[in-house]
Amino acid sequence: MNFIHPQFSLALPEMILLGMISIILIADLFISDKGRVVTYLMTQATLVLAAIATAAVMGADVALSFNGHFIIDPLASLTKLFIYLVSMVAFAYSRSYLIERDMYRGEYFVLGLTAVLGMMVLASAHSLLTLYLGLELLSLSLYAMVGLRRDSSQAAEAAMKYFVLGAMASAMLLYGMSMIYGATGTLNLWEIRDAVAEGSGHSLVLIFGLVFLMVGVAFKLGAAPFHMWVPDVYHGAPTSVTLFLSSAPKLAAFVLMIRLLVDALPALASAWSDMLVIIAVLSIVLGNVIAIAQLNIKRMLAYSGISHIGFLLLGVLSATPEGYAAAFYYAIVYAIMSLGGFAMVLVMSRQGFEADELSDYAGLNERSPIIALMMLFIMFSMAGVPPLLGFWAKLAVIQAIVAVEYYQLAVLAVLFSVVGAFYYLRVIRIIYFDKPTERRELKPANDLKVIFIANAMLVLLLGLFPESLMNLCQSAFIY
Amino acid sequence: MFSDMENLTLAIVLAPLLGSALAGLMSDTLGRKGAHRVTITGVAVSLFLSLYLFNHLVFAGGATINQSVYTWLVSDGIRFEVGFLVDRLTVLMMVVVTFVSLMVHIYTIGYMADDAHNWPQESLAGRNSYQRFFSYISLFTFSMLMLVMANNFLQLFFGWEAVGLVSYLLIGFWSVRESAIYANLKAFLVNRVGDFGFLLGIAAVLMYFNSLDYVTVFENAHLHKDVMVEVIPGSAWSLMTLICILLFIGAMGKSAQFPLHIWLPDSMEGPTPISALIHAATMVTAGIFMVARVSPLYELSETALSFIMVIGAITALFMGFLGLVQNDIKRVVAYSTLSQLGYMTVALGASAYAAGIFHLMTHAFFKALLFLAAGSVIIAMHHDQDMRNMGGLRKYLPITWITSLIGSLALIGAPGFAGFFSKDLIIEAVGQSQLPGSGFAYAAVLAGVFITALYSFRMYFLVFHGKERMDEHTRHHLHETPWVVTLPLILLAIPSVVIGYLMVDELAFGSFFAGSIEVAKSHDVLAVLGANFYGAFAMILHGLLTAPFWLAAAGVATAYVLYMRATWIPAMLAERFSWLHQLLLNKYHMDSLAAGIFGSGSRWLGMGLWRFGDTMVIDGWMVNGSARSVGWVASVLRHIQSGYLFHYAFTMILGLLGLFLYFIV
Amino acid sequence: MISFAQTLFYLFSAIIIFAALRVVTVRNPIHAALYLVLTFFTTAALWILLEAEFLAITLVLVYVGAVMVLFLFVIMMLDIDLAVMREGFVRSLPVAGLVALVMLAIMVMVVGPQHFGMALYPAVTPHAADYSNTRELGRLLYTVYLYPFEIAAVILLVAIVAAIALTLRQRKDSRYQQVELQVAVERNDRLRIVSMPAEEPRP
Repeated sequence: MNFIHPQFSLALPEMILLGMISIILIADLFISDKGRVVTYLMTQATLVLAAIATAAVMGADVALSFNGHFIIDPLASLTKLFIYLVSMVAFAYSRSYLIERDMYRGEYFVLGLTAVLGMMVLASAHSLLTLYLGLELLSLSLYAMVGLRRDSSQAAEAAMKYFVLGAMASAMLLYGMSMIYGATGTLNLWEIRDAVAEGSGHSLVLIFGLVFLMVGVAFKLGAAPFHMWVPDVYHGAPTSVTLFLSSAPKLAAFVLMIRLLVDALPALASAWSDMLVIIAVLSIVLGNVIAIAQLNIKRMLAYSGISHIGFLLLGVLSATPEGYAAAFYYAIVYAIMSLGGFAMVLVMSRQGFEADELSDYAGLNERSPIIALMMLFIMFSMAGVPPLLGFWAKLAVIQAIVAVEYYQLAVLAVLFSVVGAFYYLRVIRIIYFDKPTERRELKPANDLKVIFIANAMLVLLLGLFPESLMNLCQSAFIY
Repeated sequence: MFSDMENLTLAIVLAPLLGSALAGLMSDTLGRKGAHRVTITGVAVSLFLSLYLFNHLVFAGGATINQSVYTWLVSDGIRFEVGFLVDRLTVLMMVVVTFVSLMVHIYTIGYMADDAHNWPQESLAGRNSYQRFFSYISLFTFSMLMLVMANNFLQLFFGWEAVGLVSYLLIGFWSVRESAIYANLKAFLVNRVGDFGFLLGIAAVLMYFNSLDYVTVFENAHLHKDVMVEVIPGSAWSLMTLICILLFIGAMGKSAQFPLHIWLPDSMEGPTPISALIHAATMVTAGIFMVARVSPLYELSETALSFIMVIGAITALFMGFLGLVQNDIKRVVAYSTLSQLGYMTVALGASAYAAGIFHLMTHAFFKALLFLAAGSVIIAMHHDQDMRNMGGLRKYLPITWITSLIGSLALIGAPGFAGFFSKDLIIEAVGQSQLPGSGFAYAAVLAGVFITALYSFRMYFLVFHGKERMDEHTRHHLHETPWVVTLPLILLAIPSVVIGYLMVDELAFGSFFAGSIEVAKSHDVLAVLGANFYGAFAMILHGLLTAPFWLAAAGVATAYVLYMRATWIPAMLAERFSWLHQLLLNKYHMDSLAAGIFGSGSRWLGMGLWRFGDTMVIDGWMVNGSARSVGWVASVLRHIQSGYLFHYAFTMILGLLGLFLYFIV
Repeated sequence: MISFAQTLFYLFSAIIIFAALRVVTVRNPIHAALYLVLTFFTTAALWILLEAEFLAITLVLVYVGAVMVLFLFVIMMLDIDLAVMREGFVRSLPVAGLVALVMLAIMVMVVGPQHFGMALYPAVTPHAADYSNTRELGRLLYTVYLYPFEIAAVILLVAIVAAIALTLRQRKDSRYQQVELQVAVERNDRLRIVSMPAEEPRP
């Protein structure tokens, strides 16, 4: 294997992030608890810098570096930009929650940033090795973040489950990768693609490896039947971590899936498309049905997340560029809605009160009409009520599968989104029509409130003007 | 002045919207004065900009403006856009709409001044009703401008529905009155029937042309000329006929053509200013405008044109009869509006689109004038609308009297007045038409002239001349209405007199509408008439010799005899021909027919479907049943989530195994 | 004819399988850990057969020398109730065993000789005696695999941060030295000279 001198400048965003992580790690040692806002601001500044760097290296062309381990293409750059955005919002949401719960420490932000770095590595990965390492970097940071609240046994249990099951999934993914490597003799995604196209590797071996890859990817996305960790971890983790966990990493997992299935194994499209049909159907059905029985809003949102992932997979399984774009759009839309959904819990909670039971929301409209209205937007959007954002996302993926004539699947998706509407509307009913159990005025921190309203309005505005975001997503899949 | 036409057109549309939003949302802050000031300013801005555009397009020879302002979404390559197509047809409509709207705005200050009395003391809706009214009529102006300025069918539909909505709101403006609520519901439902056809028509356009853009559709229209479609298996229809008739069904609803006319007389429950603006001058003419706009399609279907002509002729004649027996001053004007809309429709059917639009314009002025004059009478009579209680009002309301007379003369087509030119043109155009049904239509519109003169002057004599039949108290308080009421009357009276004389040459025979209205060579009746046209004055002279003039004169004379001299004759006739009188009073039983068959029938059907379909099948089995079963499944499934780590891990392994068994073995 | 190397391969492979099975089946966790050590050792031996000396030695040093010893410490310090652990094992054994068997069958089918046999993957020619596996590995790591190598380093950093963040507790009630205060202390802080009369004054 010949060594080509790498073009380091392409990895500028990653380098900036790593450098800043090191700086924050050291600087935080000298920052007292009172001055922690400096750490917070440095974290946000890091993401802004990374965004600038990403925009600078972004180009319409595809560029490889580091001997084919690293790629810059529109998908990578766009995903990174959205990851920064979502992460910034997630950090901003968490600040007051962390302060109230004695978790406002440098490690939170450092681990958050390493998770972002992991996602960036994933987004730009162009070999099985970098994919795996990026995923591990992301996962490890997330495991730690889930368990960061040390005085909570629930959080510890969640972290433990997440870690053990995650390790299993990683092992399976790695085993699958080894099969693909064994069959094709290369780690580079495009070389794998070419090798498979030339017929190297028995199809049985490839499919065997593919199944393992699929398990790993489905686990990371939280798709049924590899979803069992999702409700427990979302429920047990501190809400601010859940919020982060449910948004940006889904984008990264989406790219992981695209890289593995579309970039490396397009020749096996008929096989992975069928697998995704099974996984998507299970996710949509199980997610929507079980969510109905949930009384805890974090668990309800977890199951709703599983069903959303099912919808996202519909786009991928169509195996067309339009479908991938629709799935990408869905991933971004879901990240935005999920931020809003868990932010509802943050807005309602206060010191010593987590506000994660549905009954805590009774009569919210009487306590704060504006926040109630914003929640209505978010819930309607998740249910897919036009013209809110969630509707366009569902429409896009359903159009994608109709275009490849999976009519039964489309009917099923529509039916179960109706079933899903039930539990979203139940939240609305509780907010608007139930008698409030407490009348204390709702006083979320100002930054929290402003971002929450902006988040919900974004759901409305992007819903009214869906074109630009959709075009952006399509631009990532023009081959 | 305006280099950027996009901003100009946007400003025309948005100025009334802004006024409406301010008056509606900040009614408490602005107060009554503030509300009418902002809305009038908004409409005035629109009017002046429209006039500027008119000058730019008509006199300065500016090019047609066609631009998309905003792309709402793109689906399957079809663009859904907001955009403006401003050509001479549009700009004419814009000037008419904004001018009449401005007059009505000013008039409303006087008409609604005492609106607080129309509401019960405790009514919440009565608070700020004045400001709300201004907000609504400005919103209407915005909607109407969106409709006429659209450059695609989608926006046309938006405007179409938006004016319908505002009309609904305004007919039921006095929401504490039972009859007003019934009337606006009726208007809404009847329009829904029309809109259904309209929407189907647009859908058919979209399906076959793959575009909603006017220009694209019109350019490709000839490609679909001979396409046949099978709507009902076994019978092939021409696509163009289908589209045109469906679109026209929409126009029948909006422009109140037989048999969807039944909502318009009832809409008089609304305050008079909106009767003038919406139900006489502008909204009801939207259907006429639409057909003219889409003329490139209509020219391809003679069947549709014949259909239109016959429907219009029926409306023109038979609705006129009904005007003869009404005693409510506003209803007489309403039936006359129906009849005049019939005339316009006939013109469209005869491919004399320009004549139809010409009549639309003149009618907008003189009918708004008549309505506002009626309103002025109503104000003076303390909101008594029964003509049997009036008479001899000319002494008390001199300005109203004169302007009413002008309006009536314009309406009956007295030579020289605005209505004369447009109506004569229509009648002669129908006479030239070779389409099936044109013979009937010609007879109907000729007879209509007599009827029009009869009911118009019946009203005029009953109100302004003869014995003073009001009670002593009312007579004591009779005086001319304030200047905000009379000023619009005067301003509207001017065009009612001169506009026909000024415009007939250019509008009907010139190339005014070149590029916006298309007429097939074989249909071009106006071109035939144009060959014998030697100027407006010659037309007046010639008009004195033709049948319509003598018919109108006969109508006026008959009215004079029946209602001034031999006042016993009408009562005698009513008694002698009581079946006819009853038929007319019952409006040919159209209302009871609609209420009986469609109203009760659909209610009965609805009840049945509700009992069986909704309550039993959908609610009982599907909704509640599925909700119950989903709930049950959910409560069972949630137990899978046991919380044990090894269960979770095992599930994953089972999932893996499942995929293996499915894909490998 | 089976060569010497092949004999060794089969021998070590057999030990690996046996030891790995024992790891999950023996009752005593200490024994299980020791079997795991045995597994690692024999795996290292296999790698040496593949001329991957550096990896083999690293495996022994890191996994056996460090990780497993740590494991043993942890196991010895924890009080594990063996009876409870066995209970679930016996109950789940039938289902789990069935699943494992099916899985094994599939894997044998796929990873068997017809897909990964010598015909498809011929043995590589042995390197010369002066070939340094360590040097080659190092060369690759710092050139072609530079980027993954750096990421691996970051992962280790995260592991350290995470471990500290999750376990380091600063108890609020703990008392520990403050060296700077100790150094900065002055005589007057500790010692107060009080002048008092030698005898108590008589009242």
